[in-house]
Amino acid sequence: MTIAQSYSVALTRQVDMRRSRQIKLVLGWGVFLLFAAWCANGTIIEDTDWSRIGGRSGVLASVGRYISLDIGLLPELIIPTIETFMMACVGTVLGCFFSLPVAWLGAANVTPSKRILYPLGRFLMVLSRSVHEIVWALIFVSAVGLGALPGILAIAMRSVGFISKITAEAIENIDAKPVEAIRAVGGNDFQVMYYGILPQIYPVVLATVIFEWDINIRRSAVMGLVGAGGLGLLFFRQMNSFNYGGVTMVILAILMLIILGEVISHYLRKAVI
Amino acid sequence: MTEIANPAPTPPPTSPPTWSRFKYPDSLYKYGTLLVVLVFLTYSLNFMNVSIPKMLGALGGLVGVIADRYYPPDLAYIADKGYLSSVVDTLQMSFLGGVAGVFLSIPLAWFSAYNVSPNRHILLPIGRMGVISCRAIHETIWTILFVSVLGFGMLAGVSALTMFCVGFAGKLFSDEIEAIDMGPVEAMRSAGANPFQVFIFAVVPQVRVAFTGIAIYTWDVAFRAATVVGFFGGGGMGWYLKRNVQQLENLRVGAIVLSIIAMVLIAEFISGWLRSAVNKAK
Repeated sequence: MTIAQSYSVALTRQVDMRRSRQIKLVLGWGVFLLFAAWCANGTIIEDTDWSRIGGRSGVLASVGRYISLDIGLLPELIIPTIETFMMACVGTVLGCFFSLPVAWLGAANVTPSKRILYPLGRFLMVLSRSVHEIVWALIFVSAVGLGALPGILAIAMRSVGFISKITAEAIENIDAKPVEAIRAVGGNDFQVMYYGILPQIYPVVLATVIFEWDINIRRSAVMGLVGAGGLGLLFFRQMNSFNYGGVTMVILAILMLIILGEVISHYLRKAVI
Repeated sequence: MTEIANPAPTPPPTSPPTWSRFKYPDSLYKYGTLLVVLVFLTYSLNFMNVSIPKMLGALGGLVGVIADRYYPPDLAYIADKGYLSSVVDTLQMSFLGGVAGVFLSIPLAWFSAYNVSPNRHILLPIGRMGVISCRAIHETIWTILFVSVLGFGMLAGVSALTMFCVGFAGKLFSDEIEAIDMGPVEAMRSAGANPFQVFIFAVVPQVRVAFTGIAIYTWDVAFRAATVVGFFGGGGMGWYLKRNVQQLENLRVGAIVLSIIAMVLIAEFISGWLRSAVNKAK
């Protein structure tokens, strides 16, 4: 084979590769767009009653109802706002307590039994994350009745998945030397945990908990929609009595609370890391 | 034999040396913070009229309640044709909401990334406010608001999920953009490119793979949210959930929750597989 021939072979191979990549790309986008069109057809065209929305003026009129603020609601907002904040705090702390055993079971290097308990820990993590907080709240409202308690429990259950997953990953990535050193000088299992593992995972876990707390404020603001106290309950009542100005006030209160949470979590995370 | 002189035994210390993990000023701060947190928690429990024994009792009773009310789940109900079509509706809503949210969040993320933002005085705050306000309001509240404006049905659900995805993906996107290598950006800028050209040719090639992964993850999270938007009138599986919860058809509720868990697991599996495929194709 002459040099020219081998060059041409290499060149055709290059061209073929590029062409097959282009074809794949076009096919991928085509499938994506077709799927999106099918979804749009099902949701926006077939399922929507456009005449009922009433055109642009109808939408603007519906939006306009929300703009007039109901300042008189202000004193009623204070206690639910505090309650929402507290629900998020207590729920997060409770979630931390629940996620300790789950993380212990679900971390491959410290789990007591790899066959049975490790998959169980992993399953609990997934279960906690895959059930939406509204569904958790529904279950707890039916189990323990109305009030702040089901909200706290729902938030705690929902936070277990994320916190324990990150904690388990942090435990799996620790440096084994301090653990061995403590074992070598005769530390028992608890001492190994407390002096060997905990100091290594503590910054990661604390940052995760602060992050989760930030999200939990958002979640605790909607717990009231299904009967579990806080700002959500007030929102629900204002909505049901068609007091749209009050609805806007509640949303503003939620926004204030979340901005406060974001500021606090920003400084806390800086202090931890 | 010569006697080996025993060295004089060291006298025992008068007080045994103590060691603690946190030294004096540190320990004061740590335990002080802990104390403040505990006091706050106790006060909140008191404020909300929640007693700890009641809480623990509720947890103990939970297993009993679930076994009593929700078992055995009515699996025949979720094999029904109407319910299955609502699952398809949920899938459609989550996909469309995810796509619209991701496409809307890309410009917002571009505006709100400090290092490549086209205008730090006007567009940066606009982008940040847009993303933060979409994030701050929970998807269920978005659903209720859209239902009251657009009426019941999937359009309201899709709009709510779009807002949710803008908040979720916008934050991750702008974090990703802020972490890029600034070399290509500076090169483009010094060659006289405008901000849009900088974004397309210096930023997008660096974040393309990460964006794809985030977009897939966004769909996964949107699907989780889509299972409940119907609860507030947004269409999909949530509507069935609401109806059966209100009719106290607990066995059906159990079956629906089981099906939600199964669907979310499948979605998570698909998204994990797609993300690893994208990472490999890089």
